[in-house]
Amino acid sequence: MSNYKRASQPGRSSILSTLQATTMLDTKPILPAEILVSILDFLPVSDQINFAKTSRRMKEMVYDDTRWISRLHSMGCWDEAEARRRFEDAIKRKREAAERANAAAAGATPLAAKRTTLFDAGQEEERRKKLAEEAAKAPEIRVDGFETLSLHASTKNSQEDPSTILDVYKNVRSIRGYARQEYGKIYGALAPFYYDLAAAKSHTEPAVFKAFRDPEKQAQMLRNLQRFSQNDWAQGWNERGEVLTNMCNIFENAVLREFEQGYEFMDVEGRMRRYAHVLHDLNGGNAAMEVFISKHPILNNRDALGNPMDCINQAPEDGITLEPSRAFFKAMAMKINEQSAVISQIFPDAEAVFWSLLDRIREDIIVEYITPILDESHDRNLEAYLKAASGLFEQCMAFVGSLDPPSKSKESLEKQAKDFGLKTFDLHLDLYFREELDFFTRYAEREVLNWEQKLSEQDASVESFFMSSFNRRADKNDFLSSFKKVVMMPVSVLPTIPISSPFGSSKAASAAAPRPDSIAGMPGTSKTTTPNISGSLEPKTGPLPSEAPTDELKAKAALMANRLEGIKSLFSIEVALDLVGNAKEGLGRVAVFIRLGGQAGEEAREQCEAIFISLLQVLGQKHVKNGFVKAVEHLSKYKAREVSDHQAGVAPLVTFIELVNVGDLISQMIDMFYEQQLAAPKISDRNDFLDPAGLAKKKWEQMLDESVAAGLNKGIDVLMDEVEYICATTQLPTDYNPAPDGAEEKGGMQQGGDMGPTQTAIRVRDLVASHTNMLVGSTEKTMLDVFNGEVGLRLFTAICKHLKRQRVSTEGAIKLIADTTLYFEYIRGLKNQDLLAYFKALRELSQIYLIDAKHAKEMATIIADGDRFGGIFRAEEVYEYAERRADWYQVKRNVERAMYGMDCSVM
Amino acid sequence: MAATEATTIRLQSNDNHVMDVDKAVAERSLLIKNMLEDLGDAAVSETIPIPNVTEPVLRKVIEWCEHHRGDPPATNEEESDTRKRTTEIEEWDQKFMQVDQEMLFEIILASNYLDIKPLLDVGCKTVANMIKGKSPEEIRKTFNITNDFTPEEEEQIRRENEWAEDR
Repeated sequence: MSNYKRASQPGRSSILSTLQATTMLDTKPILPAEILVSILDFLPVSDQINFAKTSRRMKEMVYDDTRWISRLHSMGCWDEAEARRRFEDAIKRKREAAERANAAAAGATPLAAKRTTLFDAGQEEERRKKLAEEAAKAPEIRVDGFETLSLHASTKNSQEDPSTILDVYKNVRSIRGYARQEYGKIYGALAPFYYDLAAAKSHTEPAVFKAFRDPEKQAQMLRNLQRFSQNDWAQGWNERGEVLTNMCNIFENAVLREFEQGYEFMDVEGRMRRYAHVLHDLNGGNAAMEVFISKHPILNNRDALGNPMDCINQAPEDGITLEPSRAFFKAMAMKINEQSAVISQIFPDAEAVFWSLLDRIREDIIVEYITPILDESHDRNLEAYLKAASGLFEQCMAFVGSLDPPSKSKESLEKQAKDFGLKTFDLHLDLYFREELDFFTRYAEREVLNWEQKLSEQDASVESFFMSSFNRRADKNDFLSSFKKVVMMPVSVLPTIPISSPFGSSKAASAAAPRPDSIAGMPGTSKTTTPNISGSLEPKTGPLPSEAPTDELKAKAALMANRLEGIKSLFSIEVALDLVGNAKEGLGRVAVFIRLGGQAGEEAREQCEAIFISLLQVLGQKHVKNGFVKAVEHLSKYKAREVSDHQAGVAPLVTFIELVNVGDLISQMIDMFYEQQLAAPKISDRNDFLDPAGLAKKKWEQMLDESVAAGLNKGIDVLMDEVEYICATTQLPTDYNPAPDGAEEKGGMQQGGDMGPTQTAIRVRDLVASHTNMLVGSTEKTMLDVFNGEVGLRLFTAICKHLKRQRVSTEGAIKLIADTTLYFEYIRGLKNQDLLAYFKALRELSQIYLIDAKHAKEMATIIADGDRFGGIFRAEEVYEYAERRADWYQVKRNVERAMYGMDCSVM
Repeated sequence: MAATEATTIRLQSNDNHVMDVDKAVAERSLLIKNMLEDLGDAAVSETIPIPNVTEPVLRKVIEWCEHHRGDPPATNEEESDTRKRTTEIEEWDQKFMQVDQEMLFEIILASNYLDIKPLLDVGCKTVANMIKGKSPEEIRKTFNITNDFTPEEEEQIRRENEWAEDR
């Protein structure tokens, strides 16, 4: 401010008032710089420049870079990042130059060094000067350019090279320190047109329209001018802006009229395309887009595409067929794809136009089409409604997938598809989810109830028969493997399909049709599933390669049910299968919504879990648990002595164990179902311990285990009752103590030198073995071990008890030994070491009966030999057993003497 | 100093004229407003000296403040700084500013000193209108600027800014 000192204030005005008119120069109060700056801000650009011409100080103030950057910024053509990059580049270059110079200086001769240092010092300065000159020259050169051009130009305003003017914004660079020059370029190009237009009275006047005859260029110019007007904030800017806006509107309307005319004649290649581009240049072309969409023929003849009621009317009673809707979507997709081509011919930003057209179609046509179907089917039949909702959604997604938008990007298509589906089904989702769950729960409960009613009609005590002849384990595995295939199959069909796959639409149809029967695809897989099925039920599938695996499953279920007929009484694998199948159907329907993502997707996922949970609850609490409770009840009612007909098994226990088998089968089914339907498609997270589906599954397994454990406990009691009953009723007194002349009397029965075990022992062994074997493979190993251990121990006590009631002679001892060996062998098969010790001891024990009466001394030694019995029997106990010798009273004295010495004879 | 005191304060110009002004009016000046806030009620009874402003100018400024006493307080200051500030001057203000240039500058200086942003803006706009369309030489005269350019520099600056010339 060196040039502008504020005049001293006091008294100045009064003294100088008279001099004002004559010597203004001397009397002016001087404004400080910050006020000058704010005054400058109110000035139009040309006046600012004039201001700069007044003095150096003013020039500096006007040339200040920030002033121009803010102007560039207001027009959106200042890129701070670019500026910074350039600035940093400059710094780097400078540093590199300095380094180079230093290196050169270090290695060079003094003379050279001197030269380089000189150069170094001057280099940057020079470079900068050159840049400045260039920048300064740039407008100059161009000015020269259009001065020559102006000779040929038709109007005075089109002096500049038109393309330079049109693209002026593209050529702007963001360089610090040169913002003014850059702004100058823009101003030079646009300001004349801008002020000319602002002054114009009618739309024919402005030079813009004279200089540029093409509507395309006019549009571009108008756009440029609108942008330029953003930095006009000098007085009168709003009038100018208004004029400009009016002009643009007039222009836009004119162009739009042309566009509409083109539309009427469907002049796609010509007028429509041209004017759509013009409008796009002008302001993004929204107006053209709106006209195009609102007048689009697709929206007007919607009836041609089909009547939504066809879906319901053409279907059998209470059903729904989605064939018409599929055709509808297909026709729709075809039409839209045609339009897609047209759109990309007409519009520069075809994709936006395409999607907003689609949006409109969705609102006006698709929603109109879908809603009546859903409403109607909801009123008529719930199942049809569920199928319709899911199927239509599927078709809808496939429809979007099959579209062919002008510019292809997979992601945006995916996104649009989601968006589309969401918007289309927004209103229906809640109701659908609710109905789906209700429907399933009701269905499941009804089924279970039905089944129970049937059960109570038949007597639950239907004769059950022994099934040890079947290879249970193999059957189960076989059954499960086919179940697994069936469960897996649709999974591999449904979620992995890419939306726009060639069979997208057909898949939609198949998903919508009554499901399991329609999965008939996948030839070949069924072949491999059948090999080990037992003959007649499943003909080898060579001639029938397309046999649906579900049918196979059904056949196996039938086979299984057949085999398990004896125990169909308490709960049924068929019911379970049915429920699982239904759950799967529902799940499959809901699962298609998951890919909507977002909230709706999350809801769909929760819905899937809810269905699964509901399945478990109905199946578990109402079906399986009840079955077990009943089975246990039957078990506890069983009294061995009251049953007249003794077969090889204890009927209720067999029933129960079979129940355990079936329960296990169902459990495995559920597990597989969970893995395939929930875990694999990521509906439920296996590792999330709070996940409701996972929790429900754990609860189910726990329930099963508890039921089984409770039942087994009862079962052991019953089994032992039976064992004791057999022992008591079938063991002949002569078995272990044959009369000396028994060989003659009972020759028929004992057949002389028969050394084998007694019938009783065999029966007991068979009884126990058959029951324990039944559990193999159906329960957990640990539980099985516990069960076996318990059974063995109880068996041991039972036998001991039984033994104490017998009288054993030396001849009979051989039989006894055979019996105990039989038990021992059986127990060994259980592979339970603790248990084995007991039976080993028992076997050893039986040997004391074999000792001839004459060797009382040795007998005593054995009785006293605790080690011999592995600590199972104490000497006193062995002594007790020894009392059971038929000739005990003959040997007693000798034995006791041998054991305790002579003194004991007193007693 | 009666009950009306609360709403009236005294200002004293640098040539020792004292005038009573409504507090609400005087508080258009942020300088005075802040001062009153800082000093509390005690200041109300005091005469506030305005050392940089002469009586006629102060009267003029108060006249403006009285006319604009009801104006909403200036909105965000930053906002007015950005872009597209309203450059139009109200009719009353235009008339108000029809004073000689010296007075105009004095008003600007006073409003700057007293921190009355809207008045400062009006002043600046008025000055800007004065400058508009003037040649550099005329501007120099108006602002009392000495031309310190060499002819060469003048030529260069002309060339540099050819783009901005009215055509």
